[in-house]
Amino acid sequence: MSHPAESVDGPLNWFPALMGWVLPGLGQVLLGHRQRGFRAMGGVLGLFLSGVLVGGVDCVDRREDALWFYAQAGAGPIAFAADWANSALLKTGKVGRLIPSPPSNPRLPPPQVTSFKTVTMSNEVGTLFCFTAGLMNVVVILDALRRPSATQGAWTA
Amino acid sequence: MSALLAWLPFLQPMTALGNAWWLLMVPLVFGVAVVHRAVQDPNMDGYWARVLRLTVKANAVLGSLALAIYLFVYFVIPLLRAD
Repeated sequence: MSHPAESVDGPLNWFPALMGWVLPGLGQVLLGHRQRGFRAMGGVLGLFLSGVLVGGVDCVDRREDALWFYAQAGAGPIAFAADWANSALLKTGKVGRLIPSPPSNPRLPPPQVTSFKTVTMSNEVGTLFCFTAGLMNVVVILDALRRPSATQGAWTA
Repeated sequence: MSALLAWLPFLQPMTALGNAWWLLMVPLVFGVAVVHRAVQDPNMDGYWARVLRLTVKANAVLGSLALAIYLFVYFVIPLLRAD
């Protein structure tokens, strides 16, 4: 089965692809594929928000879970916003409270962690949802990069 | 119930799931299917039916794999002799 996304010799849509990172699915919308774009947007944002709902914002952590975050960042600025919320609200103790955790080095003072931090499956599954959202948005971005415009190629380069 | 009322959505993890966390496989696969069909299908006619079909198929395959691993761990491995 062939479809428009498989035409590999057309021009690349750099601007819609970039916009697809800023807001998932926006690249397809700019190219005139509104229904396709909004459905991709719903899927990616639905996955990401479900992940944060299940695992809390702690499941997006640029410093402690950097490898997970590299993929989560594919979902766009929403991943950085979740990481900011984690750093600014939870890790500072503005929401919840800070409690000492067992130190990895007994000669150092015990590190403080938020009382909202868990090691339950909820956190793991939430991390996986956000990770999957980021990877799926990379697929959506690549699709926007190659998909022929439905509006006379206004965004192609 | 009181634990649910004290829960802060998006800030605290949803610990009420307990041992039913694996059921989240269904919405995870559904989300992947929504995005996959949105970028893969040549047209959007019958989109939701195809999303549903992919969700059911992928969950059935994952569930079968989980069942096979369960049977292997709990019934096949105990039959193996250490000597």
